[in-house]
Amino acid sequence: MKTSNKAKAAINGQKQSNAPASPETPVGGLWSGTISFSLVAIPVRLVKSVEPDRVSFHLLHDKDYSPLERKMFCPEEEKIVPREEIIRGYEIEPGKHILISDEELESVSPDRSRTIEIVEFIDIQEVDPLYYDHPYFLVPLKGGEKSYSLLAESMRRTGKAGIAKFVLDDREHLVLIISRDAALAISTLHYSDEILPENDTAAAMHEASNDANNLMKKSIQGMMADFTPEKYSNGRRKKLLDIINKKIKKKTEVEAPETQGEEAAEGMADLMSALEKSMRKVKKTDE
Amino acid sequence: MNKRTVKINERELSLSNLDKDLYPSYGFTKAQTLEYYGSIAPFMLPFLKDRALTLKRYPQGVEGDFFFQKRCPAPRPAWLETAEVPYGNEKRITYCVANNLETLIWLTNLASIEFHAPLAKADFPDNPDSVVFDLDPGVGADVLDCAKVALMVKDVLSDLKLECFVKTSGKKGLHVFAPLDRKKTKFEDTKNFSKAVASIIQKNFPDLVTAKMNKEYRNKKVFINWSQNDASKTMVCVYSLRALEKPSVSFPLSWKDLDKALELHAPEHLRVLATQAEVMAEKHSEFFKEMLDKKQRLPNS
Amino acid sequence: MASTLWIGNIQFDNITVPVKLHTAVSQNRIQFHLLHKTDRVKLHQRMICKFDGAPAPAEEQVKGFLVDERKYVLMNPEELQQAEPESSRTIDIHEFVKTSRIEPVFIERTYYLEPDNVVKSYSALAAALKELNASGVCTWVMRKRAYFGAILSTGKNLRLNVLRYSDEIVPVKSLGLESFELSEKEVGIGSELINKLTVKFQPEKYGNEHQKKLRDMIEKKARGQKITLMTPKHLKPTTPGKLLETLEKSLKAA
Repeated sequence: MKTSNKAKAAINGQKQSNAPASPETPVGGLWSGTISFSLVAIPVRLVKSVEPDRVSFHLLHDKDYSPLERKMFCPEEEKIVPREEIIRGYEIEPGKHILISDEELESVSPDRSRTIEIVEFIDIQEVDPLYYDHPYFLVPLKGGEKSYSLLAESMRRTGKAGIAKFVLDDREHLVLIISRDAALAISTLHYSDEILPENDTAAAMHEASNDANNLMKKSIQGMMADFTPEKYSNGRRKKLLDIINKKIKKKTEVEAPETQGEEAAEGMADLMSALEKSMRKVKKTDE
Repeated sequence: MNKRTVKINERELSLSNLDKDLYPSYGFTKAQTLEYYGSIAPFMLPFLKDRALTLKRYPQGVEGDFFFQKRCPAPRPAWLETAEVPYGNEKRITYCVANNLETLIWLTNLASIEFHAPLAKADFPDNPDSVVFDLDPGVGADVLDCAKVALMVKDVLSDLKLECFVKTSGKKGLHVFAPLDRKKTKFEDTKNFSKAVASIIQKNFPDLVTAKMNKEYRNKKVFINWSQNDASKTMVCVYSLRALEKPSVSFPLSWKDLDKALELHAPEHLRVLATQAEVMAEKHSEFFKEMLDKKQRLPNS
Repeated sequence: MASTLWIGNIQFDNITVPVKLHTAVSQNRIQFHLLHKTDRVKLHQRMICKFDGAPAPAEEQVKGFLVDERKYVLMNPEELQQAEPESSRTIDIHEFVKTSRIEPVFIERTYYLEPDNVVKSYSALAAALKELNASGVCTWVMRKRAYFGAILSTGKNLRLNVLRYSDEIVPVKSLGLESFELSEKEVGIGSELINKLTVKFQPEKYGNEHQKKLRDMIEKKARGQKITLMTPKHLKPTTPGKLLETLEKSLKAA
C-alpha cells in the first residue's frame, strides 16, 4: 500500500527532519509583528490568554427559523443600507457630522501598528491591579525564540515589567508586558483618566476599635486556605448544556430554510443568453 | 497500545483512544483514521491552507452523537494557527486553520472525522477562490444521475472557457468546481453565476435537474445547490472522510471516470473508501491540483 | 464618583458587612455614528431575517443553539431562566487566601465597595485584610448572573474583584514554548539594560494619544484644514546570532 512515508512515519513515532515551524504572518490571526526593547526586536504573534467558555446562541426568526443578521437601517428612507452606502461620522453638534474614512482612522497612529516598542520598564509591584484590562500572550515567531526567552528571563530576574503602547483593531492601548512562567504575557491597561476616584467616605468615618479588629482578624485567620480557583465553576454553562443536550435527544431541532438569495442582478441578461447558446451546443452533441 | 506520543515537525502530540472503533459496523479505528489523514495530508493540506475550518467531531464513533464545532477547541497548543472570522452576528469567531500536518493530526485526535471549509480563505472571507456546483441527488436519483449533470455543467462551463474539476461528496453526490481569481471575485458573482447555470440546465433538462430549493421539487432529480456559493456556507474539504457507515472520502475524480461509470452503469466507480483513497491519491491528485493555482474569471464579472 | 450599581451584604462566619458597588473604570472614547451616504441620516441597527430580507421585531425573535449546518435547538425564555441562579443580596466569602496568590490574569473587573450605612464592620474588615495581606474568595449573584470573585483591601477601602473561572484561563504550558539555552552574559546584559530603562510607574504620564490624535484630526477637518495620512512602521527582527551584539549596542545607547 502506497502511503506518504513521511506522514506515516510521524504517526508511528519516528523523528522528522526539516521542521517548517510557524509561518511569518499567520493568516487572519489576532495580531503579529515585533516587540522591541532598545535595539532588540523580537518577531511575535498575539494569542488569547483567556477563552471565555460562553454558550452562544443565534437569534432566529420565529416564523421560519432563519438566522437574523444585524444590518444598518435608514429610518428616513425606511430601508436597509448596503455597506457601500455607509459612512462614519463624528457628531460635533446635533445633526452635524465630520466624516472620517477608514484610511484616515488607520493613519492616526501610524508608528504603532506592527510594533510594540518598550521604551521603559517599571517595578511590577508598583502596578495597582486595577489598571489591568485584557490579557494576552505573546508567542515567538520563527527565529525569535532566543530573544524572546532572553526578554522573559531578564524580566523575571529583575522583577520588572515593560510598558509600551500599541494599536490593536482600531484602538491604541497602553500595555504591560510581564514575564509569566518563562512566557511573555501582555495585558492592556486602562489609562489613568479612565480610572474613577475611589470613595473616601470610609476614610472620613471612624476607625474600628482594636477589639473589632482582633475579632475580624481571628475570623479571617480561621478561614485561611490555599487559592484553588478550580473549585469554583460556571454553573450556568453546565445548566444550559444540559438543557440543550436533553432537547437534542428529543430530536426537536428546527431547520433554517436554505436562503434563496437575491434575484439575478442586471447584466445577467448577457450571461443568460451566453448560457442559452452554450446549452444549445451541449444538447446538440448529446443527440 | 491505546496511547502514543508522536513528534511531528518538532512538536509533540499525545494521541489517545487509538483502539476506539470510529466506524463500528465496518471496522475502522481511530488509529486508522489518524493514519489515513497522516498519509493523505500532503495532498489535502494545500486545500486546507488558510481556511477557517468547521469540524464535525464523533468522539463515540459515527453511530454516536456528534458535535459540530466552528470555534477552535480550547485548550490548544500555541503553535496551532487560528483565524478570527466573522460569523453571523458574532463579531469574530476563532477558527482553527490547518496549515501543517501536526494541526491536522491534533484535530483528528479529537475525533474530527469531517473537515468543512468555506469557499473563501480566512483573510478575505468575502472573496471566494472558486465557484461550486453542489450536485445532490433527490429521492429516486443517484450518483450516476449526478454524473450526467456534472458533465453538462462541465460542457457549459468549457464553452465559456472555464475549466472545472470534479470530486465525490463522499456521500451521495458530486461537487463540480471552477477555480477563480479571488482578487476579482465576490460571492455575489459566484452565486449569480451558479444560479444562472443551474437555471439554464434545469430549463433544458427538467426531468433530470432542479435548481429549486424546496424538497418537493427534488424527487427523482439532481438538485444543483447553487446557494452554497455564500460566505456563510461550508463545503466538505477534498480528501475529508465522511461519517457514514463506511469511511468514504470526498475524492477527486477525472472526467473520464464519470464517462466510464455511466458507460458501465456502475455507481460504485464513483465511491471511494479511505483505503482506496490512500492508494489512488497520488494519481488522482493530478485531477484536482489545478484548483490550487488556476485563476479564472467569471464571464460578466 | 459613579452611581451605585448594586447593593449587597458581605457574609462570612457570623459577620455581615453591607456594601454598595461602584464601577472603578469608565472608558471615554470618541464615538462615531454610522450614517447613510446619501442623506447623512443616522443609521439604526435592525435584526434582518436572512431568508426574506425583512426586519424582525423583538417579538418575532427566538434564540437557537447551532447543532449542525442550519439546524438549531430552540431555547425559550423559561428554559433560559432555568439556567439562571437564584437572586440574592449576599456576597458569600467561602475562604481567605494570601492576596499575592491571585495572579492578575484572574482579575476580570474591579468594583469599588462603599459601606452601606454601617461603617464599623467595613473599617474592621478593611484594616484586617490589609494587615493580613489577605483576600476573601467569594461568590454572589448580581443581575441574574453568578459571579466568583475576591474581596481585598487598600487599607481604608474595600474592593471587589470579579475573577475568571480557571477553565477559561489558557495555561502557559499549553503554549508549548521551548526552553532556550541562554548564556549568563546575555541574561546579565539583558537585566542590566532593563534596570537602566526602569522608571517609576506614573500612569498619569501615559495619555491616550490615539484618542488625542483622532480628536485633533476631527478638529482640523471641522476647520476645513487638509490632513496628511501616514503609513505604519515595520521593524526588522533581530537575528539570534546578532542578539549579544545588539544587546551591547543597546546598553551603550541607554
